[in-house]
Amino acid sequence: MSDLQNETGARRVLLVGDTTLDPLGRLLERGQETPQLRTSAAPYGQVYQILLDENHPAWSFRPEILTVWTAPDLTLPSVGKLLRFEFESAVAVYDAALREAEQFADAVLRAAPRVGLVFVPTWILPNHERWIQTLTWRKDIGLANLLAKANLILAEKFAAQQNIVLLDAGYWQASLGRPAHDPRMYAVAKILYSQSFFEKAAAEMKAVLRGSLGQGKKVIVCDLDNTLWRGVAGDDGADNIKLGAPDPVGECFHAFQTVLKGMRSRGILLAICSKNDETFALSVIDEHPAMVLRKSDFVAWRINWKDKAENLLALGEELNLGLDSFVFLDDSPQERDQIRRVLPQVYTPDLPKSPSDLAPFLASLSCFETASLGEEDFERTAMYQAERGRKEVIDLSGDVENWLASLQIKVHAARLRRESLARAAQLLNKTNQFNLSLRRLDEKSFWDWAEGSGNAAYTFHVSDRFGDFGLTGLASLSFADTEAQIVDFVMSCRVMGKKVEEALLGFVLAQARAAGADRVLAPPVDGPRNGPAKDFFAAKFLNDEGAVIDPARVGIPSQISLREESLEPESVF
Amino acid sequence: MDELIAILNEIRPGQKFSGAENFFDQGMLDSLDLTALVAALESRYEVFMDVDEIVADNFCNLAAIKTLLARKGVNL
Repeated sequence: MSDLQNETGARRVLLVGDTTLDPLGRLLERGQETPQLRTSAAPYGQVYQILLDENHPAWSFRPEILTVWTAPDLTLPSVGKLLRFEFESAVAVYDAALREAEQFADAVLRAAPRVGLVFVPTWILPNHERWIQTLTWRKDIGLANLLAKANLILAEKFAAQQNIVLLDAGYWQASLGRPAHDPRMYAVAKILYSQSFFEKAAAEMKAVLRGSLGQGKKVIVCDLDNTLWRGVAGDDGADNIKLGAPDPVGECFHAFQTVLKGMRSRGILLAICSKNDETFALSVIDEHPAMVLRKSDFVAWRINWKDKAENLLALGEELNLGLDSFVFLDDSPQERDQIRRVLPQVYTPDLPKSPSDLAPFLASLSCFETASLGEEDFERTAMYQAERGRKEVIDLSGDVENWLASLQIKVHAARLRRESLARAAQLLNKTNQFNLSLRRLDEKSFWDWAEGSGNAAYTFHVSDRFGDFGLTGLASLSFADTEAQIVDFVMSCRVMGKKVEEALLGFVLAQARAAGADRVLAPPVDGPRNGPAKDFFAAKFLNDEGAVIDPARVGIPSQISLREESLEPESVF
Repeated sequence: MDELIAILNEIRPGQKFSGAENFFDQGMLDSLDLTALVAALESRYEVFMDVDEIVADNFCNLAAIKTLLARKGVNL
């Protein structure tokens, strides 16, 4: 089985379809945006042969990603029959089409374990296929009804297979605003879709891939005046900014804030970077009756007269997040230009000129893609706010050791379980800084690896008196004779700087020794951003050559209480 | 003309398109490249190639492409 773990090289994508997909391949390979991809388009029309036969020549490309893109009327013959009214009984042909959809889904399921990730765009028909609008949604006979049901069959069949992503081609089609199909190119070269539709598909696939690889954006930093509301609050007065009904422009900014609030609720962090008087600006945010976002919706702010690049750097430091996870929204072209020049890693899009386009623009951004959505995401803002509280305490007390003790940090260690797998895989794939080996594995691959003989994976749940950090640590061991290797050692930046890593390593070392290992290795991988992990381990090695842990340098800090839970592997029954 | 060569090189990097007599006979482009070339020209020059124009003869060398584009009001 192949996976997505090779960090640096281009990932290989096999394109399988019932029409020519070469144009998609070219688009996926083109361009500098990550991840880099190499593609191979299998000869069209061999979908079942390729999916069912693991010895088919198409697999010699050794793909890590498989894209299966089919047209409903070609791959499901009965859809074609319903479309062209070639039937005696509409009900019978409708039923047959559903069975064909199940067959197709089963074939994809057979092929899925051969790769790390499978993309299946949902079935769509060209906009020009009007069919009979009176009947198209009618139960058991309508074409639109059938297509929806067939797509639902895919969704239901694929639900158990974690590495299959059903991509919403219907959304691509609707959002394109131009025909998705190109009858000319189909006549010339069996290319079903238009160039612009392939461009949309390629961009969306790359966005989803970035999400799977933990490269989605995590923070939105907003300007205030003319970005969250129309007007300059400091000059015009808080009562005179345009925000909310009945002013139409005010309505538009209200709608924009509503989209931002939704982003915050799904786990994107909001921050402010504005040239303003801090006390005054915060009072506008908390007191203006039409504000959707309040101070409690933001995890950090830099409201001052300093340079915005300097402020963004400070926000990155405060949140412990790389600036490449930042999006900066500012109405001023000059400010945007400056940030693009000085901090090119921050995504700084041009904002639409019309206020009415602001909310749709933000809602359509593809950079916030994520592989999963869990409890951690919904509570992220609250967790960062608790962090602000902790920092305020250290500012007051000044003594780090006392401060650590006052936090009453608790670490609960547990063997990796099914119910923690989604979050564990998210942590593994999203963490760049405190990550020893930068190994990236999708949920299924990680679970299979952890269940493998001689391997063990542990998760760490961290909390303190200010709140719960959630599952923020992950470690894994691989045993061979009397030697153990720490394969993964990952910690969320949320708990950095609290000696939690010391407790984690102490626990891992104890596990390794309890299993009979007298030497524990932790070879670090030299990534561009995992300095914190490398530095931590560098101080733990026996000698300068690195890799072998010196037990004398490892211990669980007295300020941290470590509890071990259910370390037995999950039972199958 | 340089722009046209750049478009062709984006489809087939490293090929020497200037001076070539027939891209297809000389193995520099294939039929899928032809569709990519049509898409690139349509997007760059905002023209529309009808289905009967998408034939190798119209795209077999720089002069042929130039003639086709000129017919659509694009003078290189």
